[in-house]
Amino acid sequence: MNTIIDFFRESVENFPDKIAVIFEDREISYRQLDNSINLLSHSLTHLEKGSIVSIYLENSIDFVISYLGILNAGMIAHLIPTNLMKEKIQKQLEISQSKLVITSKIFIDKINSISYDCEKTIFMESNYHKNQQNKLMKINNENAYLIFTSGTTAEPKGVIITQSNTIFTTKNIVNVLKYNESDVNILPLPLSHSFGLGCLHTSLFVGSTLVLIKNATNTIKILKEIEKYNATTFAAVPLTLNKILKEDENCLNYFRNLRLIITNSTSIPIKTVENYRDILKNGFLATYYGLTEASRSTFMIFDKLGRETSVGKPYNGIMIKIQNESSNELEIGQILIKGNNVIKNYWNNLEADKKIVDTWLLTGDLGHKDSEGYLYLDGRVDYVINIAGEKVIPEDIEIVVKVLTDVEDAVAIGIKNEMYGEIIKVFVKKSSNSEITKLEILSQCIKNLEPHKVPREIEFVDDFPRNEFGKIQRFKLK
Amino acid sequence: MNNVDVEIKKIFLQVFPDLEESEFNWKKKQKEYENWDSFSQLNLITMIEEKFDISISDNDVIELQSAEMILNFVERNK
Repeated sequence: MNTIIDFFRESVENFPDKIAVIFEDREISYRQLDNSINLLSHSLTHLEKGSIVSIYLENSIDFVISYLGILNAGMIAHLIPTNLMKEKIQKQLEISQSKLVITSKIFIDKINSISYDCEKTIFMESNYHKNQQNKLMKINNENAYLIFTSGTTAEPKGVIITQSNTIFTTKNIVNVLKYNESDVNILPLPLSHSFGLGCLHTSLFVGSTLVLIKNATNTIKILKEIEKYNATTFAAVPLTLNKILKEDENCLNYFRNLRLIITNSTSIPIKTVENYRDILKNGFLATYYGLTEASRSTFMIFDKLGRETSVGKPYNGIMIKIQNESSNELEIGQILIKGNNVIKNYWNNLEADKKIVDTWLLTGDLGHKDSEGYLYLDGRVDYVINIAGEKVIPEDIEIVVKVLTDVEDAVAIGIKNEMYGEIIKVFVKKSSNSEITKLEILSQCIKNLEPHKVPREIEFVDDFPRNEFGKIQRFKLK
Repeated sequence: MNNVDVEIKKIFLQVFPDLEESEFNWKKKQKEYENWDSFSQLNLITMIEEKFDISISDNDVIELQSAEMILNFVERNK
């Protein structure tokens, strides 16, 4: 088993008539999914092997068919989050040199209005039958998919994940969290992110059923789907878990069959961990620490008291080291990761490749270990802001605020927040005689930034703390 | 419409740029919006706090699931 398609086909062979994916009122079996994937792959034979094909779709069966169909055709799937602003999509398409964007009716106007020149189509299964006469050769491409993340500059970094990275990580998830073919997995997280996509791989790998949900804030829908399908696992960000607790004190009724809730690392309030430990009588809450570049590097299973703030330990040969002056891992330092889950290089980005030294990934995250090797997160080395797992570079926000003529300068920082890990605060120096209001600055941000990048706080200042060379000292604003 | 109505509607149209003015509905719930996620919710609340100079607690934020609920909350608290 060398590729994602290989392990998918193994499940097709073992469970042909089993439902692979459910989305709203549609479900698809492993065999039907395999057929649809083949049809889509046939429609791509006019493109060179190894081409980048972009997916701009919300969670849906169409997404799964497109993704696996691209891999099956020996091409690389570029996954674009649907909440991205147009300019950012354009940048990603330019850097990736994408040859085709597969999207939906809802988004086609937005995609067509982007000036990047490539083929742009609406996903339409019925059209793919026409292409069956095209010959499809079995082509394996070691590069599987491409996801962009924020770097320390305004330029996004392409993270290219290989087949072997994915297979290693998928097996790791399955072994640690005991996924099996009888699982029914609820997934309200976007497939265009590493967390959601990892859940798809895991579900297909063991031959279980995945129930996709489009909107993670619709907790009523999530609870109903958990009940309707007798779900055994559920993946959610801490925000969703908190929302469920606040909205529905009787969620235990929905959770009685759940054996696992998996969440991600950034920030889980201790109270949430404690509450879910009490609620899940027949299962447990687990979390992990990982980056797109080093997926699922640690796991933490909250099955007994203690270590509520830890993100756990690495498994299966993954190594984590804390780099600091004292060479003492019990003290805070930068987290370095090495293992088969770590990428070898970024997508055509020599500057970003400097973050990989002797196969160790310098994460930019700060952390420390306890005496038994459990990892704890302590913030960032640089000024990247981490909002509920979404990495944001301050420059993105500052550029948008500084466009306003009444603003002379602006500095964005992350400030601690129990629910989100961090939230954004912007310090603004007005131009002389300016009467600009905080509301006008907020409006500008809402108009020009993705929703998670909009600042929660704005403070007007006369000037910024600076060093002897006049450089702004961000750490003094914290 | 009084002034608070107008301002809240304006904020909705800003936070949800795809929302046509003719489609705006006071009773439409969060789950019926395509893109009213937790971040958009925060953006609505931040704008409303700033506009009406009020503070909305985390517990109240969860409760505010339609434009009408937000309007009632602002009228009670401003």
